[in-house]
Amino acid sequence: MARVKDYGNAELEEKLQDTSYYADDANPQFLEDVKKLSRTAANMCFQCGTCTGSCPSAPRSSYRIRLFMRRGVLGLEKEALNDPDLWLCTTCYSCTDRCPRDLAPTDVIMAMRNLAFKVDIVPRNFLKTVQLIYKTGHGVPNNDVNRAARVKLGLPADPPTTHSYPEFIPGIQKIMDFYKMKENADRILSEGEQ
Amino acid sequence: MSGNMRQYAFFLGCIAPNRYPGCEAAAIKTSEKLGIELLPLKGASCCPAPGAFGAIDLKVWYALAARNLVLAEEMNMDITLICNGCYKSIWEVNHILKHNDELRDGVNEVLAEVDMEFKGSIDVWHLIELYYDEKICGVEKVRASVTRPLTGTKIAPHYGCHLLKPKKERHFGDTENPMWFEELIDALGAESVQYRNKMQCCGAGGGVRGFDLTHSLDITNEKLINVQEVGADAITEFCPFCQLQYDRGQVEIAEKFGQVYDLPVLHYNELLGLAQGMTPQELALDLHAVDCKTFLEKIL
Ligand code: SF4
Ligand code: SF4
Repeated sequence: MARVKDYGNAELEEKLQDTSYYADDANPQFLEDVKKLSRTAANMCFQCGTCTGSCPSAPRSSYRIRLFMRRGVLGLEKEALNDPDLWLCTTCYSCTDRCPRDLAPTDVIMAMRNLAFKVDIVPRNFLKTVQLIYKTGHGVPNNDVNRAARVKLGLPADPPTTHSYPEFIPGIQKIMDFYKMKENADRILSEGEQ
Repeated sequence: MSGNMRQYAFFLGCIAPNRYPGCEAAAIKTSEKLGIELLPLKGASCCPAPGAFGAIDLKVWYALAARNLVLAEEMNMDITLICNGCYKSIWEVNHILKHNDELRDGVNEVLAEVDMEFKGSIDVWHLIELYYDEKICGVEKVRASVTRPLTGTKIAPHYGCHLLKPKKERHFGDTENPMWFEELIDALGAESVQYRNKMQCCGAGGGVRGFDLTHSLDITNEKLINVQEVGADAITEFCPFCQLQYDRGQVEIAEKFGQVYDLPVLHYNELLGLAQGMTPQELALDLHAVDCKTFLEKIL
């Protein structure tokens, strides 16, 4: 029979079970939100640093993926979401392929970015892409130079996407409106201009 | 078309059709010679961009990618595509929604608003994996289609990130030093070359190119240094976004860092097109920021 390990001290046992970090700026819910959105067990990180050692962004900036993993575990929500380094991950997944705990640090970053957007923290270029897709269906729309080149190649001037079938655009807008994405993007962009 | 052609819905994405249309034209023509027919996926949109878009709200990313998938489900046809970023969105969302009922129900709730339903009835393939797959095409068939071998050229492979990684969710095996793309390059009569840190990212992804161009280009510059070091005549990849980063990036790197490489950057389909006898005009190579002349002189 397996032996139950314990200290024979109920109060101490309860404390040991509780893995949350208590500090004025810690929010244990942050870790739970990150885990749900990233679909990875972020709390399992043991801070080995393999991720940072694999990261193409690390040698040329102060961005440290291991630090964001730690902030997740400790529930340091504000510190994580307000750090502009959050947006320096190229999502190359090198860290994810090498993490000895089989975690997905890349998806932790994606989750934190999603949470940042919820509190209006987001670089402008991301919002511009949202606006373009809302308007045209494409993040990188066609232009006249390209249209001329396409015709020379024997292709239609506009590809058979929403560019040739704009009747599909209202459906795309409906989907984005369902999540209020365009509305929020417009609002954040216009507030930034004030 | 003839009965022994395999048909796929061709998901174009944005950068190939709207910046490097030669990739689109080449994909259609070169695949035809390999028994693969690419049919238009009418009304498709941006995949949408996994970094710039998924970073903001994953739920919208799932839903918009699912809309593209449903268009192909309605054609009853598997999707093929020529961009790693598109692969990340279209393949991965298909995979996630097929295996996660909660997310799939959420997506179907919003798709119902536009009279669509994600059924999970099709598969998604990168064209390069179809080329490599013996059951579909295979390296020998690629080799047999070559009429103008790229003899005497040294070509550096760039795998990019989102086709192979994260490896536990993909089916391409090793991501530290894969060699299958080299086989496809060598099949064209060219010599593939190895260089330091081959698997490093191009630097464009995750919205970093738009957020901090200098940072993004610094990553690209490191790759260019490593490629130049081994005397490559060109870089080849299978992702138009990597292509844009290496090609237009060289102009930006010259301006910002004062380093000049003049290293032509060609999508594998453009390279295959050249090897199958297509002219530079038929591939719109003049739209490339880096002149491909030095490379073309070696093979034409
Ligand atoms: S590699 Fe994995 S376990 Fe190691 S620090 Fe990074 S996330 Fe944590
Ligand atoms: S996915 Fe992001 S954090 Fe991970 S190694 Fe790549 S750039 Fe760094």
